Amino acid sequence: MPDWVDPVAHYMLEQGLRGTLQLAAISLLGALVIGVLFGTLLTIEFRPLSWAIRLYIEIWRGLPIVVTIFIIFFALPAIGQTLEFSPLTAAGIGLILWGSAQVAEATRGAVGSIPREQHEAAAALGFGWVGRHVFVILPQALRRLLPPVVGLAVNIIQNTTIAQVIGANELLESGERSVERLTAPPPIGLGEVHAFEIYGAVMVVFFAISFPLTRLAAYLERRLT
Amino acid sequence: MRLLAFEWGYLSDYGSELAAGLWRTVYVSAIAIVGAFVIGLVLGAARAHRVPVVSQLAAVYVEVIRNTPILVQIFMLYFALPEIGIRLDAFTVAWLSVMVWGGAFNTENFRAGFEAVPQRFRDAARGLGFGRLGAFLNVTLPIGGRIALPSSINTYISVLKNTSLLYVISYPELTTVALQINALTLQTVETFTVLAVTYLALVWTMSAGIRLLEGHLALPEAR
Amino acid sequence: MRRVIAFALVIACAAVAAAVAGAAQTDATRTAKAKPKLPPLPAEVKERGRWNIGIKCDSPPFGYIDVQGKNAGFDVEIAKWFSRFAFGKANRISFTCVTTPAREPSLTTGRVDLVIATFTYTPDRDTRIDFSRPYYKATGRLLVRNNSPITKLSDIAGRTIATTSGSIYDRWMKNCYKDTKVLVTDSFTNALLAFRDGRADALMWDDTVLLGIAVADPNLQLTDDLFLPLPYGIGMKQGNDAMKRWVDSRLNLMAKRDAFQPLIKNSVPARNLPTFAKNVLRPGQVFYYSKGDLTTQCT
Repeated sequence: MPDWVDPVAHYMLEQGLRGTLQLAAISLLGALVIGVLFGTLLTIEFRPLSWAIRLYIEIWRGLPIVVTIFIIFFALPAIGQTLEFSPLTAAGIGLILWGSAQVAEATRGAVGSIPREQHEAAAALGFGWVGRHVFVILPQALRRLLPPVVGLAVNIIQNTTIAQVIGANELLESGERSVERLTAPPPIGLGEVHAFEIYGAVMVVFFAISFPLTRLAAYLERRLT
Repeated sequence: MRLLAFEWGYLSDYGSELAAGLWRTVYVSAIAIVGAFVIGLVLGAARAHRVPVVSQLAAVYVEVIRNTPILVQIFMLYFALPEIGIRLDAFTVAWLSVMVWGGAFNTENFRAGFEAVPQRFRDAARGLGFGRLGAFLNVTLPIGGRIALPSSINTYISVLKNTSLLYVISYPELTTVALQINALTLQTVETFTVLAVTYLALVWTMSAGIRLLEGHLALPEAR
Repeated sequence: MRRVIAFALVIACAAVAAAVAGAAQTDATRTAKAKPKLPPLPAEVKERGRWNIGIKCDSPPFGYIDVQGKNAGFDVEIAKWFSRFAFGKANRISFTCVTTPAREPSLTTGRVDLVIATFTYTPDRDTRIDFSRPYYKATGRLLVRNNSPITKLSDIAGRTIATTSGSIYDRWMKNCYKDTKVLVTDSFTNALLAFRDGRADALMWDDTVLLGIAVADPNLQLTDDLFLPLPYGIGMKQGNDAMKRWVDSRLNLMAKRDAFQPLIKNSVPARNLPTFAKNVLRPGQVFYYSKGDLTTQCT
């Protein structure tokens, strides 16, 4: 193994991969909480609310994630001085907006697929709207949501790379910085281009994380049907 | 509030540059969508029919592309390939990267569509004297293609949205041009409003238009 | 005789002692007079106890990530000097990696106090932020392959030249060399890669970086043209006079102590150090910003 590999691998795995996983975890959590809430609310027959949520979903699913992140990072501060976020935070907000829109859509479908009888039975047992959903409907809906949520987790993990374009330190950015350093002539770097090895390694890491999860999603999908 | 001070002169100053960027976005997307359609159709059929060798290679292609981020794929094509002697210019990387990405997802879409065609239809085709290829072209393809339509549409729309990532290779599509204008003028609110509205208009129009088409093409049973 | 010599020695020692004391006295008065002249640290930084400084993380030799994963480079070293000046320690800094388009916004929103990131002064940028006095003088050069048809600047007509997006070179070529195809990238290393891959006929950028590349690669060379002398400045929020006074005074101090020269020793091949000496502030040297917009001045 050439000399340059070890420090680069350390930097990329300890700093870059850590940023990726942190960003992915927070984004997934936020997307799930907001998405399940909005998706459930969407099933209520109250026009203003469903239109507002529908608008939210169509906007954040319609915009490319990179554009959303650019808006949060560059445009928000121009509107209000306090609305300025670090690159990782801005990327997290962007991923949560997109992810929650996806989850809301899927939740609406899942909740809508629960037969009327479940609602009626729960109501007969004395549950109010909230209780009915929390104790009877959602648990069943969430089981149906599991395959697409695992799929969404894979997408979010991969989409954390978009944070690279605003300079957030995740895996791809750490690879890019290492390529820059190595390309510089000595004494800074080696004056050699190692883009293929480094970006190839980034692909391998993402594959190693995503492939098992994709298989899991497919398995869960089969088990459901 | 700053938001209300939108400078309408912005559009006349930078409209032509943004329009040029928009044109490139649409142009690259169109090439990639056609390519993704062809790739998905051919490889999806190969996979559904378990064609030896092709099916396995297609599976590898699909799994690699689906399980790695598209941004890293763009980096590989533009920054890494030259190291092993393959030099591609920005335009080639632009349509190639999103086409390869879309093709992988579309392969799965078509495969699922073809496999969902009820066996009895295919048996009936064979019973009528069609060979394997004939059965595919006359029965499996029209029906399976229509089953695959919704997921294919989503893939094509994603292809369009993913062209925004070509910012990293500075290919002057819409997002890149908008960011360059912003860097020069710092008219941030105007730039990003125009950018967001343009993408939403593009995506929503594409979405609505193709869903109309889907309504026309839907199978009689689905109507 | 011995007594005479001994007596002379005593007188000599006394004279030396008196001279030293006298010098120390004048030195003390001089320092005592000089101390109040140094502007105080701006209040917001003093309260915080740290600097928030924006630097590049992918632009060797000015700002990059070194082998240990730490911020390094010429601009980073200046930041460390500022930390020492302000707090006595070199590590009272929160570094923020800024990409080229993020430099101005990070100042206007207050994300960072200072931007030390290859920030070239332009009159246009000056309308939105403030610049310190110039601390580094870069000149534009053209990097070509040995047998390139481009031998002087005017040869770039009709050819493809790589440079960074939104840079001074980008705009200058668009204004003055309208039939040149400008290939822009978001970072210098990508422009270099584009040039090496044959996607561009030449690379236009700062002399200090291009020089190192030309020296390291026997197949590349610089044309003789020198153009666009554009000094770097330290960016800060507009109207922050206390900050500007502090930064300018400390830059003056560093120049007087010839502190800039050693900073590049770790970043530049030894044989290039003499050239770098002309680009950094040496004692008694002053760089000037051009008042006009050089990107519109075609020769």
